[in-house]
Amino acid sequence: MSARAWLVPLLPGIVAAAGVTVYVILLLVVESQVGIAALLVAGVIAVLVAARFGAAARVGAVFAERDDILNLLVILAVLTVTGFFYEDHFVLLMVATVIIYVIACLGLNLQFGYSGVLNFAGAAFFGIGCYTAAVLTKNTGVPHLVVLVAGGVMAALIGSFLLLPVLRTHSHYSAVVTIAFGLLFKIFLEVNDTLGGPQGLRVDGMNVLGWEFNDNIEIGENFEASFYVNYIVVGLIVLGFAFAFVRRVERSWIGLNLDAMRLDETAAASFGLNITRWKITAFTLGNFLTGLAGALFAMMLGFIAPTNFTFGDSLILVSIVLLGGIGNPWGLVVATVMLIIVPEKLQAIQEYRFLLFAAMVILILLFRPEGLLPRPLRTYIPGWKPK
Amino acid sequence: MTGNRKPLLASDGLSKLFGGVVALDQLDLEVFPNQILGLIGPNGSGKTTFFNVVTGIYPASGGQVKFDGADITNLSTQAVYRAGISRTFQRSRLSLSLSIFDNIMIGNHKRLNQGLWFNLVRRDAFRREFEQNFEEARELVQVFDPPLAERMFEAVSGFPMIDRRRIEICRALISRPKLLLLDEPSAGMTHEETTELMDDIFKVKERVEDLTIVIIEHEMGVIERITDACVVLNFGQKICEGTYQEVAQDSQVQEAYLGVE
Amino acid sequence: MDIGLFAQYVMNGLMLGMMYALVAVGFTLFFGVMDIINFSHGDVLMVGAFGGLATYLGLTFLGVENPWVQLAAAFAVATSAMALMGALIGKFLVLPLKKAPPLNTLLITLMLGTVLRETIRLFYPRGANPQRFPSLLPTDAYSFGNFTLRVDNMMLLAAGLLAIIGIHLLINRTKLGLAIRAVAQDEDTAKTMGINFTLIVLVTFAIGSGLAAFAGILHGLYYSEVNFGMGLLLGVIGFSSAIVGGLGNIYGAIIGGFLFAALQTLGVLAMPFASAYKDVFAFGVIILIMAWRPTGLISEKISERV
Repeated sequence: MSARAWLVPLLPGIVAAAGVTVYVILLLVVESQVGIAALLVAGVIAVLVAARFGAAARVGAVFAERDDILNLLVILAVLTVTGFFYEDHFVLLMVATVIIYVIACLGLNLQFGYSGVLNFAGAAFFGIGCYTAAVLTKNTGVPHLVVLVAGGVMAALIGSFLLLPVLRTHSHYSAVVTIAFGLLFKIFLEVNDTLGGPQGLRVDGMNVLGWEFNDNIEIGENFEASFYVNYIVVGLIVLGFAFAFVRRVERSWIGLNLDAMRLDETAAASFGLNITRWKITAFTLGNFLTGLAGALFAMMLGFIAPTNFTFGDSLILVSIVLLGGIGNPWGLVVATVMLIIVPEKLQAIQEYRFLLFAAMVILILLFRPEGLLPRPLRTYIPGWKPK
Repeated sequence: MTGNRKPLLASDGLSKLFGGVVALDQLDLEVFPNQILGLIGPNGSGKTTFFNVVTGIYPASGGQVKFDGADITNLSTQAVYRAGISRTFQRSRLSLSLSIFDNIMIGNHKRLNQGLWFNLVRRDAFRREFEQNFEEARELVQVFDPPLAERMFEAVSGFPMIDRRRIEICRALISRPKLLLLDEPSAGMTHEETTELMDDIFKVKERVEDLTIVIIEHEMGVIERITDACVVLNFGQKICEGTYQEVAQDSQVQEAYLGVE
Repeated sequence: MDIGLFAQYVMNGLMLGMMYALVAVGFTLFFGVMDIINFSHGDVLMVGAFGGLATYLGLTFLGVENPWVQLAAAFAVATSAMALMGALIGKFLVLPLKKAPPLNTLLITLMLGTVLRETIRLFYPRGANPQRFPSLLPTDAYSFGNFTLRVDNMMLLAAGLLAIIGIHLLINRTKLGLAIRAVAQDEDTAKTMGINFTLIVLVTFAIGSGLAAFAGILHGLYYSEVNFGMGLLLGVIGFSSAIVGGLGNIYGAIIGGFLFAALQTLGVLAMPFASAYKDVFAFGVIILIMAWRPTGLISEKISERV
């Protein structure tokens, strides 16, 4: 097959990815508030126009067929953005934060996107990962890659204390279990002195095999890149694994089990599905991912305090999953970019972001409950066609 | 035609109480291999409750259920399914937002490899299992309705009631159960559609060896046409059994249906 | 322990219990007619308290100084405003999602709670800080050893009890109450009997939310302070009380409220050294209760048709 024949069908996807990359770079470059607002409006109009004239559908079709190419393109796009802003701490911190939040939300997506297991304590499990990282880096010599995993394991372990009530309750009852846990966690951190109380804890930067993540990267005399590049690279690798994992879950009998359980527990049980087993699986794996993201976040920020883990933060994680389109991992990515970057850039709304996000979710629930990027039907094997 | 064979499913003094309400009252019932048994009776006579107790959704308050020689009383609904009993629901309980194929595979749970490693890592092996199951599901759907088999990856919500019923029966059949429990398959369908669906059931019965069916139905035409034998329930008790003709002439049955007390 | 101090704890527990009960009744009413949980309920209470406070400040500004007038106006404005808001919540957020998955109603009310909380924090003057709530009741007090019986507290308690009795009479002795009970029992039957379902749902939301505002003002008067975050805590505790008493059961909710307050008070009494952990303890108890009796101590009727 000639290169041309191979490339042409992919063209809509490549053009879209390039366009989005340029747009994101522009959004990050522009400083003037009016300029940013204009860009946002332009973005919305562009998406609406694309949807109106079927371009969006074509791009979607390409990506549905060749989802491996999409993954590569997105990684390429992130690296392009990172390269473009290689010495800008502020922008790169935002990029890294987006990556870490996506990992955390992938965990939440396993829980209530697929399995219908509610978790309104996402920020608490994220926080468990953070505090685990703080305690381990300060008090032990555990290698930092192990610290990452430990953050996830700790979140999964503490989550297992909630398993009994979560398994035994349904919808609003289990919602209140996790809400209570989220509030308990934050109050506990505030009154507990060994974990730093309201002042929080310092966390060491990541160090892998002698490579100090919190030092800027210097190459030769004239080149110096922000140390956040380190975290973006590690974040991307973790995200790659997490994303592939969640995707494979969805594209397997396991994903089917989780959907069946969410949609009709009684019917699923009548066909042999062990509800307990799959709820435990989804809740534990989800908390693991969220905790892992937390550990990475703590090492990147170098400092954590209880105010990072409020009920409002848990609701933001839920909002991301809902806005993006429940059960669609790509929707998460889009929603995270919107919810993290827009308020950082548009200072005018920074203060109002909880209010705006909550209002947005209300509108989504009323008028487009499937989210911005609705989850497509399951394809078990991308590109597969019945003979 | 039941001969002297042993029953496939037998309930012995089966009772179910909801608070003070007696839904099943010392019910003795036998279903023989390869039979199509009609379960009839007025609303609230305990037909669906019987299905729910047999399949383990409700625990029995007393008595025993035997299936294929083994005691299955109060087994979990998962265990009953693994033993070889599948069912459909009175109010179609398909997952509307999932595809036809997804819905049918939900019914195939026990024959699919559920291991984490298999599903997430051994993708080539998964692919083979997927392709094999797809072919099987497609063949099964083809028996019912060939055009439907070409639309396996469309959401069930886009199909009319009769197709949903077909998909639901396919979901119950895909795991090759020994006993199929059909809970009012004609509900919500027109007379013509019902006739069509009954033809389908016959076709399947011909194709699948060793399939026994218990069907709850209000449409007496259906019962007359497809059942080998009938059991009539009223207030959770068996008031009559025999062929449809025998049952239809029974005075007690007529009373129950006319509501004479 | 000193008997006077003990009496003080009992008094405090009764006050807490009464407020929890008022909140729990709202949850239970909503659940009764719509089978939903309105997670914004606690924040409605908070907005009600701020409404009362604003009314008082407005009257002071206008030169109306009589505390009884101020009090009556605060109650009247806050309860009626919140009743209206409750009806609006029912009409525009809850009823439209009647056919959607229950998760959506839960989320939409949670998000509405955030909107209310943030609105007060951002737009009420200095709303991010706790606000002093005026003492509008007589501050006479009688001392019995270590125990001080304050007249204002007795009046608050009496007001709360009156509200509870009022709800009881409304539900059991009026035609409206009969209609609410009918809808709670079986929506379809109620409709065929000519009951206007939508109207009853809206009225129920109005009653529940008005009650929350009432409780909010009592809360402000008792603690002499209100803040934008108070609703979240009260909401979760009120909801838990309703669950403990079996959702949909009004008397269960009242008992649940007092039970919960008793548990909290006992927790503090038993472990005075750990009083900083009193809320941790409260939430821990909620989680334990849910694990032990997932649908409450007095079980909610569950009848799923299969």
